[in-house]
Amino acid sequence: MKTRLFLRMRSVTRVDWLALLVLIIVGAIGLSLWQARFDSSYNVYVLLRSVSVMIVVGLAQMVVLAVGELNLSIGALGGFVAVVLGMMLEVWHIPLPLAILLALAIGALAGLLNGLLVAWSGINGFIITLATSSAFTGMSLGLTQSIPFYQLPASLTRFGQDAFGPIPYVLLVTLLVSLLLAGLMGKTVLGRHLLAVGGNRTAAALSGISLKRSLVWVHSLSGLLVAVAAVLGTAQLGSAQPSIGADWVLTSFAVPIIGGTALLGGSVSVVGTFLAAIVIALMNNGLILIQADPYWVQFLLGLLILGSVGLGQLRVAWRDWSSKRGKEERRSYV
Amino acid sequence: MDIKQSGQSRLPAGWRTFSPSTLLRVSPQAGLLLINIVLWVVFGLIADGFLSSFNLFTLSRDIAIFTAVGLAQMVVLSMGEMNLSVGAIGGVAAIFAGWLMQVLGVPIWLAAVLALLLGTGMGWFNGWLVVRTNISSFIVTLAMASVYTGLLLIITKAQAFSNFPLEFIGFGQASIGFLSLLLFLVLVIVVLLVVLYRNSELGRWMLAVGANRRAAQFSGIPVGRTLQIGHAISGLLAGLAGVLLAARLASALPSIGVDWVLPSFLAPVLGGTLLSGGVVSVVGTLFGGMLVESITNGLNLLQVNSFWVLFFQGIVLLLAVLLDRLRTVVAQRKGGSKR
Repeated sequence: MKTRLFLRMRSVTRVDWLALLVLIIVGAIGLSLWQARFDSSYNVYVLLRSVSVMIVVGLAQMVVLAVGELNLSIGALGGFVAVVLGMMLEVWHIPLPLAILLALAIGALAGLLNGLLVAWSGINGFIITLATSSAFTGMSLGLTQSIPFYQLPASLTRFGQDAFGPIPYVLLVTLLVSLLLAGLMGKTVLGRHLLAVGGNRTAAALSGISLKRSLVWVHSLSGLLVAVAAVLGTAQLGSAQPSIGADWVLTSFAVPIIGGTALLGGSVSVVGTFLAAIVIALMNNGLILIQADPYWVQFLLGLLILGSVGLGQLRVAWRDWSSKRGKEERRSYV
Repeated sequence: MDIKQSGQSRLPAGWRTFSPSTLLRVSPQAGLLLINIVLWVVFGLIADGFLSSFNLFTLSRDIAIFTAVGLAQMVVLSMGEMNLSVGAIGGVAAIFAGWLMQVLGVPIWLAAVLALLLGTGMGWFNGWLVVRTNISSFIVTLAMASVYTGLLLIITKAQAFSNFPLEFIGFGQASIGFLSLLLFLVLVIVVLLVVLYRNSELGRWMLAVGANRRAAQFSGIPVGRTLQIGHAISGLLAGLAGVLLAARLASALPSIGVDWVLPSFLAPVLGGTLLSGGVVSVVGTLFGGMLVESITNGLNLLQVNSFWVLFFQGIVLLLAVLLDRLRTVVAQRKGGSKR
């Protein structure tokens, strides 16, 4: 009886995102008790709206982290896709559905380029994506001369603003994307292969999984997700800004890492990424409600990243320690 | 910092023995210098005023600051670490120096020393966190960059300081011949770093930690202390770059350092410093800084839009690493599998 309870406790602590869920519930209850405005339907809408883009940005980094790689070009690519989308709609008058499809294709192609460069050259992905990020930013600024496109079709802008009660339409897209990605990573052969590469490259290569192909896959997937985030962000803003991804690099690492995705690869958590984005949004929202300096956001985000990674390591250490102790006990009985 | 000058080193000094592998190690820097020279000739011919004394002065000043930023990154790269907070540290140090001079009326040299000390302290704290928590330096410095910048903005309310004593502004404008004084200052630092890596125990410790941390640990190198000192040096150099930029702009802006992450990697990586650690090239970093700033300057003179300059910086970095990779592959094929 006692052992069974202990086992159950352990399996609960093994769920990485439980702490985040508790944090969200406590934070939400605390905020609604403290600031009555927090509960208002409009505030919940604002919160969920900010979450929806953040989650997709986090997922774009998460798929790359799954194989133990990094993508520093997320923000730059986001800006580039937004600019191209704006150009297609405002300058070339391409119909909206086609423009969105093309924007997604451009994102995926740019990601493919990242992936091919990393896979073929064998150069660290950090340097490749740093270089391409500079190139993407330069292109989007050069194309627009840093002036956003404002003449977007009303249907796109309305999609970015409208909601079912407090739930924005944009969040539904995010949910769909997250579900698809969770399915891809957890249920398909490709997802398993990617995680295997992240867990142990040598072992994966020996079992016949191509490292190069995995690299190309994750970078393309990451590019596609960035493009989704850029389209959603453009719809929300109502204008196509080259600076849309300026703060996405920090966000893209903060969200999956706080959500429990390992930086070294081999384990991802879509649910964790989802919850981590809500934690960050709650923090932003709380700071706005108490009218704190906006600069606190940056400071606290840094502490949150360090704190969550530190906690994760403590948890792993505790797990190792307890499992080791369990073994020793068993040995002493035999 | 305890930089011990050990005359007779027990480790063989690889740079004195001249072998094909040494030549290979030297050649990226030689190639880089060649590219620099070709570029200067081209820009001298097609860009009006590239070789004018005024432009050379501006260029040398930009090279100095850019190289200082690159060196700050190079020091941590040599240990196989990263410092994404170079920009944040530079910004904080610049604002701190500005605040000391404008509000407290502290003399320039004292303000500069205190700002550098603050930079060193922030770098050391990064290193301490890396060693203590065992979290990768990428995450630690990414998070700490956010923390430092956040704190700076909360405390100063994003205020700029530009009411400097004339000597400080004069220092940013000073020149020897037609080259900026700042460049000579950075050259002194380059020499000091070369000595650090070639002739000091600490330098070899840093490289050993970068090459193979476990092996370094087992050979009795104090890995933790080396990491902390290395991060502290990086913070010192980042702080220096911030103060120099404040002197050059004659104003300590909170935006100093926000766009330093890419440049900080450009110079050392172009110069042949490996991201994985254990290989460092101080002179290469200087040449890398020269190359990037020369391209930027030349393109500006040719009236290429400054937005596209960023694009070219990215392409240059990409081409440089691809060429370097190609060179290594070719060298390995020619040399057979010696190692």
